[in-house]
Amino acid sequence: MIELRGVSKTVQSGDRPLTILHPLDYTIPSGQFIAVVGPSGSGKSTLLGLLAGLDSPSTGQILIDGVDITTLSEDGLAKLRGDSIGFVFQFFHLVPSLTAFENVLIPMEIAGRRDANARARQLLNEVELTDRAHHYPSQLSGGEQQRIAIARALANDPPIVLADEPTGNLDSTTGRHIMDLLLNVRRARQATLVLVTHDAELAALADRRLVLRDGRPVPQHDTPPAVSSAQDKAEALR
Amino acid sequence: MTFIVAMALREIRASWRRLLFFFVCIAIGVASIVAIRSLIQSVREGLTQESRAMTGADVVVRSDRPLGAPVREAVAREQATGRVGEVFESIEMATMVRPATGTTTRMVELRAVQDAFPMYGTMTLVSGQYSHRLLRDHGVLVRPELLAQLGQSVGDDLLIGTERFQIRGVIDSEPGRNLGSFSIGSRVFIDFADLPSTGLLSFGSRASYELLLQVPHPPPVPGQRDAATMLARDLSIAFVNDFVSARSYRQNEGRMSQNLTRAENYLSLVGLVVLILGGIGVSSVTRVFVQQKIRSIAILKCVGSTSRQVLAVYLAQVLLLGLAGSVLGVVIAAVALQVLPFFVGDLAALLHVQYGLTMGAVLQGMAIGLLVSVLFSVVPLLEVRNVKPSLLLRQDIPAPPRFDWLKWCVATIVAATLVGVAAWQAGSLRVGLMLSGGFVAVAFVLHLAGLALVRAVQPLRYARSFALRQAVLHVARPGNQTRIILLAVGLGTFFILGVRALEANLLQDFEVQVGENSPDMFLMDIQPAQREGVSALIDRTNGALPAPKLIPVLRARIVGVRGREVNLESFEDVRGRGGLSREFNITYRPNLEANEKLVDGTWWTGPPPEMPEVSIEESLRSRFQIQLGDEMRFDVLGRIVTARVRSFRSVDFRDFRAGGFMIVFRPGPFDTAPHTYIAAVKGAPDAMARARMQGQLVTQYPNVSVIDLREVIKTIKTIVDNVTLAVTIVGGLVLLSGTLILVGAVSMTKFRRVYEAAILKTLGASSRLIAAMLLLEYGVLGAIAGTVGALGAIALSWSVAHYALDLEWEAAPLLTIGGIVATALVVAAVGVIASLDVLRRKPLATLRAE
Repeated sequence: MIELRGVSKTVQSGDRPLTILHPLDYTIPSGQFIAVVGPSGSGKSTLLGLLAGLDSPSTGQILIDGVDITTLSEDGLAKLRGDSIGFVFQFFHLVPSLTAFENVLIPMEIAGRRDANARARQLLNEVELTDRAHHYPSQLSGGEQQRIAIARALANDPPIVLADEPTGNLDSTTGRHIMDLLLNVRRARQATLVLVTHDAELAALADRRLVLRDGRPVPQHDTPPAVSSAQDKAEALR
Repeated sequence: MTFIVAMALREIRASWRRLLFFFVCIAIGVASIVAIRSLIQSVREGLTQESRAMTGADVVVRSDRPLGAPVREAVAREQATGRVGEVFESIEMATMVRPATGTTTRMVELRAVQDAFPMYGTMTLVSGQYSHRLLRDHGVLVRPELLAQLGQSVGDDLLIGTERFQIRGVIDSEPGRNLGSFSIGSRVFIDFADLPSTGLLSFGSRASYELLLQVPHPPPVPGQRDAATMLARDLSIAFVNDFVSARSYRQNEGRMSQNLTRAENYLSLVGLVVLILGGIGVSSVTRVFVQQKIRSIAILKCVGSTSRQVLAVYLAQVLLLGLAGSVLGVVIAAVALQVLPFFVGDLAALLHVQYGLTMGAVLQGMAIGLLVSVLFSVVPLLEVRNVKPSLLLRQDIPAPPRFDWLKWCVATIVAATLVGVAAWQAGSLRVGLMLSGGFVAVAFVLHLAGLALVRAVQPLRYARSFALRQAVLHVARPGNQTRIILLAVGLGTFFILGVRALEANLLQDFEVQVGENSPDMFLMDIQPAQREGVSALIDRTNGALPAPKLIPVLRARIVGVRGREVNLESFEDVRGRGGLSREFNITYRPNLEANEKLVDGTWWTGPPPEMPEVSIEESLRSRFQIQLGDEMRFDVLGRIVTARVRSFRSVDFRDFRAGGFMIVFRPGPFDTAPHTYIAAVKGAPDAMARARMQGQLVTQYPNVSVIDLREVIKTIKTIVDNVTLAVTIVGGLVLLSGTLILVGAVSMTKFRRVYEAAILKTLGASSRLIAAMLLLEYGVLGAIAGTVGALGAIALSWSVAHYALDLEWEAAPLLTIGGIVATALVVAAVGVIASLDVLRRKPLATLRAE
């Protein structure tokens, strides 16, 4: 479970402070799919970065399975990410000097897994890119790069997957495939998925939506979902 | 660990082209260190293994005076006790020789030996093995160069002193020849028994008398010195007041080894300087490399890597590159040692050594290569700690902490370690500190000068030419490599121009000294009875040139000083003062000479006091605390003379018309004592006339030695040329490192250039305009680096000329301007060639990639 208690983020903009996320209390139960939506500059990516420990909040606490990650050191956060969090970026962020296979391999090597090679091959198989294993990111299409990024995010079987507009940089067909992949693997692994998106259709697939505007949550009058699960919703959309 | 090594290897695979010059920088430095150390270690090993053959005996008893009965008796006593086996004698002296038919003369180093020579080692002749029979009955062995100089061949006759000797063979190699010592002439061997007949051993002649002792070798006792060293020590004590030295081959071996170790350490510093320059390049590459890798580092941190792991990845990469560079350096050194004989001649055969890499040198070179790689990259690598994974979400990069204490601590440790490495290489902490301090000072001065010059060219940013405006702006833009290029290229130019300027000044000074009216020949060992004859001969052959001035010379040793600040009762006490115990040439005269100035006391006038008086050169006062009124005891040809110090003089030793004497006596005590004369003579400018005069002098006065200063200057010029060549090679290496750093700097910042060029092309700039911008930018940078180096060179040559060599300094404008232009051209050419990609790339592809 992820708990946010009064989490805010203020940065210095020129000579004055700018609050990009106002104090937020929010709880994400394990295994849920949460969509974070809102216009540009509403604080969505900032929130995701705080959840991943990529950045530290100005106030408040973030508890992951009861552990306050705001008290962890940089190295402690790195270990947390390696063990428990998979991150998928809008711009893929693969290491350009490594092949697709090696990019998938890195988190497992960092974690010291012995079965890293076999598992990397299996993950590439899951994202249907076995034949592109030894290509460099510059030799892959956007969709292929994002599939590699998903494979990398899932490498250590993290209980939490955070995705920052994973389809934002892709055409609609490829984006749809990527979402299918993400939702499939979430379902298979029973992982918590926090998805930042602009796409209302995608957001509608989530168990819950967190709408942000100017760094504040917008109250939602949730209507009960017409379909019971995210998977059913995805199928309904087809 | 797997992750760190695997990532390091992957990173090298991905960026080896960009890092190529990283290990070339290290390779050149390591190659210099390994080659220099291996060469000297090979020579040392070869020489020390043959130290007994080099010394020619187990123990050598040597004196500048004929060995008297007490010495011979002492040796005979030791022989009777069995500590000494075989004994033979040898005499060495410098003298003139000439062919029996012909007028050409040459100064040679004559050695007269007995039939037991050589006791150790072998003497080989061009025609085969040496035998003493070849010397018997006026036979002579000579070096091939003398035959060539005199136009003689085996079987011809040579005149040595008053005697005629037949050339019976040509020396190929000779044991006991100290290659490190200055040689006044070519080596000539005759039989010991024939030497007296030459008449060369007349009074006052400069000869070295030797007894060569063989020591029977009992089995060595652990912890005890060997028999030869013990014997040499005992004999030294026995001869302490007889001006006789006794040295064992072991002591010579120790001294030789010590000298070579010192030479090895000092020369290795040259390699270290090159390596440190390489290190500066490494540091610059690493900084830019980290900047380029920020996104990858953020990704690694995002997927769970700690800062420590990322740092370890890049440190491992540096270690691997450093190792590769060091291995390449060792390979370059091995090749250099193989091709060396083609450049320096067959020195190896002469020294009986095998050139090759030595394990010690290889290990040291590799260790230093790795150390320098790590030391120079660790500080820029620490930046990886400041890379936040959040930059993958936002473009703004958080500023690093204001005071990074860890970085400063590491920088301090790096600086201290570098001082340690320098001290280790020099074999002396003092030298290590001096080198490091000097390096920092030079770098600081070059940096300041560079900064000032970059500012000075800034008005050109308003120039009408677009290309020139852009070039000047680029030189001063943020994140530029100007400082590093100025330092590296400027330092290389500084070395080369500085040494060239100094050489020009030095040679010019010699030319001035041997000007139109100054003497250019030096006559030695003129006997009193020969004074008038020699004067007349020179007057006759020299025509209108001024008559020579003959100066009386005696040889003396200081055997005691009784003074206010120093009290040396015996010669043993004097010997403890090092240089004071050497043999001095002394003279006497009533007047001060033109090259002397009285600095303290009074010159002798009026009636002489009872005690003889003496005037001392002021350097002896400062070195040995001798004061006015002190009583000094001199041993002059066995006679003890006590004299009172009446004055101190400063002597300009460069003006040798009246000689340069440390010790001058008031006339009186030696008027009737036997002594010889020297003369400084102005010879005819025509080489033939000079040779004729020398020929006539040697024919009529065989004992008189003639030193032709014009020949000496030729020799000095050759030595200076060789030294200059050596330092120019060092400067060339530094410049090469500088050029590599330039290439590296260009390639590392190329990604930015390519992008800028793409934008400019989109805005309508032609490739030609961009090429002109690059050419001007690097041209300006090269001109600044050249100017900085040239200014440094002027400062260096002026200070060395002024303070160390006491020369009149003269500017070398052609050299300076030529140096600046050449540097500007080289830097411009290298800069443009290294940036060809910037010109070639299509703008759209570049902009898309961004």
